[in-house]
Order: sequence, then structure tokens, then C-alpha cells
Amino acid sequence: MEHPLETIGRNMFAIFGVLALCGAAFVVASKSAVHSVIGFLFAMLCIAGCFLSLEAEFLGMAQILVYAGGIVVLFLFVVMLVEMSKKTEKTVFQLQSRYAVVAVMFGAAAFVGVFRKVIFGVASPDALVLRPELTQGLSVARQNAQALSRGLFSDFLLPFEILSVILLVALVGAVVLAKTERV
Amino acid sequence: MPTPTPIQSIVITLIQCLLVVIFVFVVVPLTVFAERKVLGHLQQRLGSTRVASGHVGVTGWMNRGMWKWGRVPVLSYWRGIPGLVADVLKLILKEDILPDKADKFVFFIAPALSMVAAVVVFAAVSFVPGVFFIFPTWFPYVGGLPVSGGIADINVGLLWILGVASVGVYGIVLAGWASNSKYPLLGGLRSAAQMVSYEVPLAISLLAPVVLSASLNFGEMSARMAIGLPFWGLVPQILGFLIYLTCGFAETNRLPFDMPEAENELVAGFHTEYSGMKFGFFYLAEYINMTVVAALASGFFLGGPWLLPFGLQGLVNPFLPAFLSWFGEPHAIFFVVKIIFLLFTYIWVRGTIPRYRYDQVMSVAWKYLIPMALFNLLLAALVRCFAV
Repeated sequence: MEHPLETIGRNMFAIFGVLALCGAAFVVASKSAVHSVIGFLFAMLCIAGCFLSLEAEFLGMAQILVYAGGIVVLFLFVVMLVEMSKKTEKTVFQLQSRYAVVAVMFGAAAFVGVFRKVIFGVASPDALVLRPELTQGLSVARQNAQALSRGLFSDFLLPFEILSVILLVALVGAVVLAKTERV
Repeated sequence: MPTPTPIQSIVITLIQCLLVVIFVFVVVPLTVFAERKVLGHLQQRLGSTRVASGHVGVTGWMNRGMWKWGRVPVLSYWRGIPGLVADVLKLILKEDILPDKADKFVFFIAPALSMVAAVVVFAAVSFVPGVFFIFPTWFPYVGGLPVSGGIADINVGLLWILGVASVGVYGIVLAGWASNSKYPLLGGLRSAAQMVSYEVPLAISLLAPVVLSASLNFGEMSARMAIGLPFWGLVPQILGFLIYLTCGFAETNRLPFDMPEAENELVAGFHTEYSGMKFGFFYLAEYINMTVVAALASGFFLGGPWLLPFGLQGLVNPFLPAFLSWFGEPHAIFFVVKIIFLLFTYIWVRGTIPRYRYDQVMSVAWKYLIPMALFNLLLAALVRCFAV
């Protein structure tokens, strides 16, 4: 017989997952956009908690740092400055709700179809690894951060750099879009 | 040494949290008091250096003797205390006004967010390496168990600190928006832009210790920075400390960077509409943030729980005679003394340097501090590459 606190500790992932879902539901259901952003922030923090309970502490912290600290602030800026009229929506669900419901049901069916085995089946004992010879080095790492940096900066350097070039293209594009009005 | 059961370790963690909260709530009022006194002396403000509770107590009696004797009392350390007491009482007792058009939920949650983000940072701060103290055996339930020097000395401590500190921006932005009034909104936006900008050089200046110590764990970092660096490690440490401290001033919205509440431009900035204890929470959060920045600066650059700053301890320790070995070991008291000194520096700077203009604040961050922080990172990498 284990102590109830230990049970809670083992089920941290489920707890944070349910809390994140509650936050996400709040995003959809709240009438003010700023409230939605707060719900989004809550959901992001809970997802960081999920990562932490899976011992992916670097990922969890990056989640807080990048999403909660950076991206949601930008969301908040946009929402605050656009929603100056203070007009709150009359109904929770908008005109598109019919199509949205159909899309959501289709998506849910596809999700259950794809993840049927994951949800109801038995988990595989071994992780799926595309190139096993590269993971040898990872077992030396003491921390998440070390393993991740090894993966990013030595084993998968080229894909990483190509990804950052794509981000650079997006950045330049944003600058060009913002500049054209003034020239 | 017995190993604690999970429940016992939770109890110990709660006790640690309580200790940290007590530490914070002792340091913050003392800082407010010191701010009144030090500013009073720096700028010849009359009230805070002279107001006393009349002629009661031993000091009152001695002071009366001094006045009669025709001298200004020397024992004036506690002069100004009535001002502090009145301030705290005002915060607690004042009516909590909720503006008519305010967004009630956000108006309520904003001060809580700033406060929580400020306090939670202390989870990853390690005050002393290893065991802080051991409970005496007569202590109920957790007797004989060790208490470590930090609540959660996790191996991504620095990322936790930066992440949670960046969540603190929400308190100010949301407060500005929820008040539904011009000046708070402008103050909130200005402050968000300022804090987001200064987070960049702050994070880069903290990367230098990461590179030098090859860790993200607060305790490991402060130990390596204090006693594990070669002589050349001094240069990036000192430069990084200055950059970090400047950014820390801006992050905590203190003079000379107190843009969010520049009174002559913005009334009182994002907390114009706040009163009572809700305003008190912003006030507390500001001072707790100051303590956090001071704790990080002393942990990463000033040697943390070791006595000498900038890694000098590691250079001095081999030559330390045996009877002075107490000074070569880590003690929580050294850490606290450094925090207090840095808090004094905050007040000192506030009394000395006037406020910058807003565009100057931004150009300081983007044109000077970021290149300097990058240069410092390069220096740290060179030291790491060739000298370690």
C-alpha cells in the first residue's frame, strides 16, 4: 500500500496533462481575447510540467523560456493593441462553428485511428531510433542539455543549420514586409 | 545518515520554502528601510533620517541626552522607522479600489503573477553547497535528516531562473491593460518592450559563466566560478558582472531605468490604478526581484558562498594558512552579505544617477550592451579554450 502522495507523484504527467487541457479549453471558451491568452500561458506552463515529469528537463525549461516567456508575450501584445474597442464576443462559438465541429470530429477520428495502438495497445520496450549508431554518444551525456547539444551541433549539424537558414529567411521576409510602407 | 522517505523529503522541502520566504520577508522590509535612510543621507532628505518615535526606549533616552548636550545624536540608526511602519500599515489598511471599467479577473491576477514569478525563482538558487544544516534528533518527524542548501538544485537551474523571470513581464503588461486607462497601458507597453530588450544582453552575459563552468546547475556554476577558474577567468567575470548588473537594474525597473513608472511622464506607470495591498504586491515583487538579481550576481560573479569575488578564492586558497581556513570554506553568511551589499548598490545608484530618456534606454541595450555581452562571451570561450 503506497502513500497517496506517492500516487500523486507517479501520476504527475496525467495531472499536468489534464490541467493543460483545462487551460486550452479556457482559451476556446473565454469571451475576452486577453483571457484566452492567459489560458494559453497556463496551458504552456502545464505542458512544461508534462515535460518535467518525463525527465526532459531541458525541453521543459525551453518550453517556459520560449513559449511562456517569448511567444505568448507577442500574442498578448497583438491582442491588446487590436482589441482596443473592448467589444467582447456575444456568443462563445462563432459563425464557423458548424464547419469547425465537422473538422474537429474528422480530426478526432483520424487521431484515434492513428494512435489507436498507442492508446489501447502495449507500449514497445525499445524506443524507435532511426540511426542507432548515433545514439551511442548520447549515453555518455550526464544531462539533457549535453545530449541535446551533442545531437544538434555534431551529429545533426547540417539539418540544424538548414533549419536556422529557413528561420533567417522568415526573418528577412518579416523585415521586408514591415519596411515596404515607409520606402 | 538516514535517507528520508518521500513524505519526509516533501516536508523538508516545505520547510526550505518557508525558510526562503522568511528570508525574503526579512530582507525586503529592511531594504525598504535602508532605501529611505540611504537616500535620505545621499540627497539630504530630511524626514527619513530624523523622524523617530519620540523619546522612548534606550536610544530615545540617549538621543535626548545628546540633544541637550548640544550635539546631533550619533545613535540615529533607527530614525525613520515610524515612516516605514506607517508605509506598511497604509499598504495593508488602505481601501482596495477596483476601477469601474477594469477587467476584474486580469486586474486581480496581474499582481499575483508578478509576485509569484519573483518568488519562485528562488527554487533554483543554492545558498550553500551540500548540506545547509541537519535537523536535531529531537525534532518531530524529520529529526536527524539533512537539509540541502537549495530547494531544488536542478541541472537546468539557470534556464529555470531565466524562464520564470521572463514570465514576470506578464504581471506588468496585464496590469497596464486591465486598468483600462491611458497611462497604465503606455507604462505597461514601455516596460514590456524594455524588459524584453534587456533580457537579451542579460541572458548573453549569463552565458559567459555557463561557458566557463560547463554547467547549468546553480550550485555547480557558483562553485566552479568561485574556486575552479584560472587567473585569466578574472577578465570575463568582471566585465560580465558589470554588464549583468546594468541589465539587472533595467530588468527590475530601478533607476536609472525606471521607464514603466517615470512619474513626470506617466503618472505612476502600470500601477497607477492600483491601491492597497494589490499595489503592495507590485511593490514587494520589485524588491524581491532586486533580491533575486543580487542573488544571481553574487552567485555567478561574486563567488557565491565563498568569501572572495570573481574567482579570486580559488587563486588564494592554496596559500591560505591553516588558522584562516574558515575563510576558505563556503558559508551561507558570505552569500547573504553579498546580496545585502548589492542591494545597497541599487540604492546607491538610485541616489546618484538621473533617469535616462526612453530612446537612450533602448539604444543602451541594443547598441552597447548586446555587443559588449557578445564580446564577453567570446573572451569566456577563449579562456575556456586555452586556459582551463
